[in-house]
Amino acid sequence: MRNQILKSRRSAEQSLLGGMALASLTAACIWLVLGPAPEVADYLIAVVLLFALFLASLIVMHLVGSTRRQMEAALESRASAEQRAIEALRESEAQWKEVFEHNPVMYFMVDAEGIVLSVNTFGAAQLGYLVSELRGQPVLGVFFEADRDAVRKSVEICLAHIGQTHSWEIRKVRKDGSALWVRENAKAVRRQDDRLIVLIACEDITERKEAENALRQSGNYLAEAQRLSHTGSFGWRVATGEIIWSDETFRIFGFEKAPSVALDMVIQRIHPDDRAGAQQTIDRASRDGRDFDHEYRLLMPGGSVKYVHAAAHAVTDASGGIEFVGAATDVTARRRAEEKLHEAQAELAHVTRVTALGELAASIAHEVNQPLAAVVANASAALRWLDRDTPELQEARSALGSIVDDGNRAGEVIQRVRGLVSKTADQKAPLDINAVVNEVVTLLHRELFSHRIVLRKELAPALGQVLGDRIQLQQVILNLVINAIEAMQPVTDRPRKLAIRTHQEDADQILVTVTDSGVGLAVQNADRLFAPFFTTKSDGMGMGLSICRSIVESHGGRLSASINVGPGATFQFSLPMHQEDHTP
Amino acid sequence: MTGRSNSPRNVGGPDEPIVYVVDDDVSVREALRNLFRSVGLRVEVFGSGAEFLQSKLPDVASCLILDIRLPRLSGLDFQADLAKAGIHIPIVFMTGHGDIPMTVRAMKAGAVDFLTKPFRDQDMLDAVTAAIERDRNSRNEAKIRSDLHALFATLTAREREVMALVTTGLMNKQIAAEIGIAEITVKIHRGNIMRKMAAKSLAELVKMAQALEIQRPAPPQ
Repeated sequence: MRNQILKSRRSAEQSLLGGMALASLTAACIWLVLGPAPEVADYLIAVVLLFALFLASLIVMHLVGSTRRQMEAALESRASAEQRAIEALRESEAQWKEVFEHNPVMYFMVDAEGIVLSVNTFGAAQLGYLVSELRGQPVLGVFFEADRDAVRKSVEICLAHIGQTHSWEIRKVRKDGSALWVRENAKAVRRQDDRLIVLIACEDITERKEAENALRQSGNYLAEAQRLSHTGSFGWRVATGEIIWSDETFRIFGFEKAPSVALDMVIQRIHPDDRAGAQQTIDRASRDGRDFDHEYRLLMPGGSVKYVHAAAHAVTDASGGIEFVGAATDVTARRRAEEKLHEAQAELAHVTRVTALGELAASIAHEVNQPLAAVVANASAALRWLDRDTPELQEARSALGSIVDDGNRAGEVIQRVRGLVSKTADQKAPLDINAVVNEVVTLLHRELFSHRIVLRKELAPALGQVLGDRIQLQQVILNLVINAIEAMQPVTDRPRKLAIRTHQEDADQILVTVTDSGVGLAVQNADRLFAPFFTTKSDGMGMGLSICRSIVESHGGRLSASINVGPGATFQFSLPMHQEDHTP
Repeated sequence: MTGRSNSPRNVGGPDEPIVYVVDDDVSVREALRNLFRSVGLRVEVFGSGAEFLQSKLPDVASCLILDIRLPRLSGLDFQADLAKAGIHIPIVFMTGHGDIPMTVRAMKAGAVDFLTKPFRDQDMLDAVTAAIERDRNSRNEAKIRSDLHALFATLTAREREVMALVTTGLMNKQIAAEIGIAEITVKIHRGNIMRKMAAKSLAELVKMAQALEIQRPAPPQ
């Protein structure tokens, strides 16, 4: 442009000089043609021509001058615009540099050998360095020793795929040795000079990472806690049937971990005997949307049995659907321990029962002897009736009938004793408590007699049934009566009276009381009365009442003792009545 | 059965001995009733001592089979009560095992026998037979004694005095001197005594005096 302007000026000057030279040449020619004294006309023409030429030169010169001015103005404005553009560029560059240097992202430019070519101030500052301290240094210096291989590999991947962005998360180490987590986005590019470089932008994700770690740790703790407590958690969306289990729940049920669980699968794993009950609980829960709590057994593929206790809380989600959140605990070990304990208790109960029977041996022998004596007498009589000259068949038959009755009676006593001696498992059945009382009392007649005790039975008629183990309840009554007998042993100055009563306490309770007129209870012993190994007897084991209480409690009742208004003590136990329509 | 035959008798005759049974166990007492009936013995059974006492007891040879363990009033106490009431009936106790101290007490108190339940039928029948025999004997003795008392009651006061001295072995002369009457009068009294008392000899009269427990009157000062 500038050249153009200069060129146009030069041409203007040249045309001016050319015009002037042409004018001079023309004057000279005129001069030569006309001579020194031209005719006036000729002279005039020459002068007019000369003037015209001169005028023409002037016009041309003016034209050239104005063009030149226009061009110079144009040139000038062009230069200032150029200047502005340069300034703007410079500003923009500074701005970008500012952005580059202080944008809260760490930028690194690394060559193929891993030497830092450039780093922004923010990046250097984040690592506690000056830019100058990093530039020219191997970039591995800002990574932990342990992570360096990973870094090398990542860079290699970038170099192998030029132009592609790769990202990863890694720890960096500050100058002071502290760590920060970063997410790196990196890309390899080829420079104009054909050198390969890797551009890396990293963002500090330490906080997120810490939160993640905390979350993971908390998750780990939870998983560990679940594993240790054998408690798995589960979620169940009723509407969709979606079931989510924790790892421990999978472990308890013995299934491979899977993203979702089918209800059928769960039901199939439940022990066949418990399946109907579990199904009922599930149906009821999904229908009513109320919390549930139940226990069932699992039949594992190996044939082993697990006991699981599941409890769940119902929550309603935003869309009004019901979701159960619950915990399933493997209580097998607890159940086994309980079973063991139960066995031990049964064993102990058996021992005390046999001991009690031992004390009653004479009384029991008497109870067997009575019918036996009758049998022998009747049998002799029958023989004699038959031996007569005219056999008295009617009499003999009657005697034989009595023998059958008495034989049965003796058999019943033996059976009762055998029942008490046997080790039976819990066999709860509906039974009449009055019958239980009577069965025990028949074993005690002689014992009461030899201690000169008067027994009064007040058994409420038409009592409802209780659900109980006959042998265990017999043991309780037997124990209470033997205790009462022993409590009356020292009494010589008043009648020894024993009362056994049964009555209906309220709509669903039956009460059995055993009242004696013995020495009573010492107030200070009241608390320890039912404790194991507590005894006031010189030869007592101290297990009787403790076992009685656990028997009564296992029947859902309560055993208690009180001091009579008069002499003696009263022991009483309640038993829940058996409900016919009881649903398990 | 045992080789010993118990021929059937006419049960229920007015002079037939009676066996009483007291046992609170109905099957035992009914079995005993059956047993005694089968050998032709009259038998009456009671559930308690009180029931027995309330019944009228005919004056025939009898015995009582008593369970030593009765509720309320034990067999032993009942035995004592009977003695107090002057009812002297031979008692056969039935006991269980381990009742030795009670058995000893029963025997000391005059029980005829005791049998441990369950007892052999023959033992029971033997015991009953023996008890009835004993009762029969004691009833006979009591009869003789009361007859003797009746005879003795017919004697006059002087005759009783003479009888006491005669049965101590004094001569007529000594008796006459003792009570200050003539020897002949003593002889007359003596004849009357022998006749009234139906004594065939002096020895018999001495026995009677012993049975009547006649004491020689204290000699006058």
